[in-house]
Amino acid sequence: MRIVVAYKWTCDPEEATARADGTVDWSRAKPGLSTYDPVAMELARHLAEQAGAELIGVTVGGKGVGAPIASKAVLGRGLDRVVIVEDESLREAGRSELAAVLAEAIRHIGDVDLVITGDSSVDVAAKMVPTVLAGELGWPAVAEVAAVTGQAGALRVERAIPGGVQVLEISGPAVLAASADAAVPRVPGMKELLAAAKKPVELLELAALKVPQQNAVMTVVDRARPERKARKGQLIDTADPAAAAAELVAALRAAGAL
Amino acid sequence: MSVNAWIVVADQPTVGNLVTVARSLGGPVAAVVAGPRSVAETVANSGVDKVVWCHAPDDAPPEASAQAVADTVAADPPRVVLAGRNPGERVLLGAAAARLKAAVLTGVRSVSLDGDTTTVVNAVFGDISDETVAVSGPVALLLDGGSVPPHAGSSAPIEEITVAPLGLKVIETRTHGFEKVDLNSAHRVIGVGRGVKAQEDLAMVEELAQALEAEIACSRPVAEGLNWMGKDRYIGSSGAHIAPQLYLAVGISGQLQHMVGVTGAETIVGINTDANAALFSQTDYGLVGDLYQLVPAITAALK
Repeated sequence: MRIVVAYKWTCDPEEATARADGTVDWSRAKPGLSTYDPVAMELARHLAEQAGAELIGVTVGGKGVGAPIASKAVLGRGLDRVVIVEDESLREAGRSELAAVLAEAIRHIGDVDLVITGDSSVDVAAKMVPTVLAGELGWPAVAEVAAVTGQAGALRVERAIPGGVQVLEISGPAVLAASADAAVPRVPGMKELLAAAKKPVELLELAALKVPQQNAVMTVVDRARPERKARKGQLIDTADPAAAAAELVAALRAAGAL
Repeated sequence: MSVNAWIVVADQPTVGNLVTVARSLGGPVAAVVAGPRSVAETVANSGVDKVVWCHAPDDAPPEASAQAVADTVAADPPRVVLAGRNPGERVLLGAAAARLKAAVLTGVRSVSLDGDTTTVVNAVFGDISDETVAVSGPVALLLDGGSVPPHAGSSAPIEEITVAPLGLKVIETRTHGFEKVDLNSAHRVIGVGRGVKAQEDLAMVEELAQALEAEIACSRPVAEGLNWMGKDRYIGSSGAHIAPQLYLAVGISGQLQHMVGVTGAETIVGINTDANAALFSQTDYGLVGDLYQLVPAITAALK
C-alpha cells in the first residue's frame, strides 16, 4: 500500500498585513509547514504503520517549497520520502491549477492507494484543493475525516457530519481531508530530524509533468483593503462587576443592540 | 436553453443564498442534487429552473455521486457553478471544477458577468485583502448556503438519473447529541473561548444567553479539540461568518482567524482577563476582568 500526504509549505496570514492599497505585506512572515498538515501526517503515519504502507509527502508551489529546511521538517514527521514540484510560476496559481499539478505528481509516483491532506491551508483556507484533486484523479473525496483504518481496497473512514459522525467504507483509491482534530501530532525529536536528513527527496520539473491546461484564466484587476466597521474601543471599568454590567447594559440599550 | 449557472447540492437543501446569487447573474439556473429525493424536492421549490436528481443506492453518501454531478454539469457547461460550504458540497464542487477546468474561488463578496468576463470580488488571506478577479472561462464558487425562503412560483421539474456510485458506502451513522444551529439567523450571539475553563461553566454562559435571547457560538478549539459544542457553532475563517446585532466574546483572545467571522457584527463586546488581548482593539465595549464575575453580573443586570 502506498499513501501520499499532500502538504503545503507557506506563511501564516496572522503574520501578514494588508497595505492601504490592498497588497499584502508578507515581509515579517516566515514560511513553515501549514498548520493542519502535521495532523494529516500523524493520521497517515498511524495508518501506514498498521498497514505496512509506504508514506510519501508531496508538495507543489513556488520557490522555497523544495528548500532543505522544508523537506527536513516534513520528513522528520515519519514520512519515508518526499516528491516536490517547485516552480515560481506556481506561487500565484489558483486552487484548480495546484490540484492538477498535484494529480500529475501523484500519477508520476504511481500505484498510490490513498491521499491524505490537512483540513485547510493556513494561508488560503479554501478547503478545495483536496476535492479538485480527487476530481482530477477520478477518485472519491471525503472531508472532515476524524479516523481511518484498514487496508487499500477496504478502508474504514469516520467523518464528521452535521449533528454526528458517519462511518464509511471505501473500496478503491480516495482523497481524504483530515479534520483539524483528527490526531495529535508528535513533535519530531533530534533522532527523527537526523534520520530525515538521509531520506530521499525527489524534485520534479513542472514542464515534464504534462499538466492539462485550465479552461479559466484568472487576472487580478484590483486590490483593496476591506473597510472594517469603526469600533468604539471603549473600556468599561470592571472594579465593581455589578456596576460594569449595568453600564454595559445601558450602553447596549442606547446603541440599539438589545 | 443552455444553463448559465449550476448549483450543486449534497444532502442538505440550504441553497437560499446560492439561488439568489445565481439568479442575479441572469439566464437559466439549474441544480444537481446528490442527496435524498426529499432534498431535490425542496430545491425544486427554491426558484431554480430545473433539478437533476442523482438516484444512487440508499447506502451511498453524496460524495459517491461526485462523478455523476461532474458529468451532469459538463453536459450543459455553465459560466458559473455554485455550492455551499458543507464538506459534501465542497467535494461535489471540486469534482465539477476539475471536469470543467474551472477557476475556484471561495471568499466571494460579489460576482457579476460582463461580456465573456466573470468578475469576482474575493476576500483572501483571512479576509485581510479583497482581490477583484477577472475570469475568462468557467468559475466555481463556494458561498454561504443559507436556508430556502418560501418560493411563490411553481415547482421546477425534477429529472432523475441513475448513478453508478464511486466505491463508497455508509456503514454506520451516529448522532453526537449536539443541537444543530443556524448562527446566521441569530440577532445576538455569545462566543465562548478558552477563557472558559470547564465544560460545566457553560451553564453560566447559557443563563446569559437566555437573558440576552442569544445563540451560543465558540472559537475553533472549543468545538474541535475540547469538543464542547458541535462544529457548526465555531466562528472564524474556516467556520461561520456572522453579522448579528450584537456579538459578545467571552474569554476569547481575538486572533484574526476567529475575528474575521464577526467583522460584520453591528456591536462587539469583549470580556477577557488580559488587558493586552488582541480582542480589545476590535471591540465597541471592552471589559477587562474575570468572566466568572462579569458574566453572572451581566445576566443579573439584564433581568
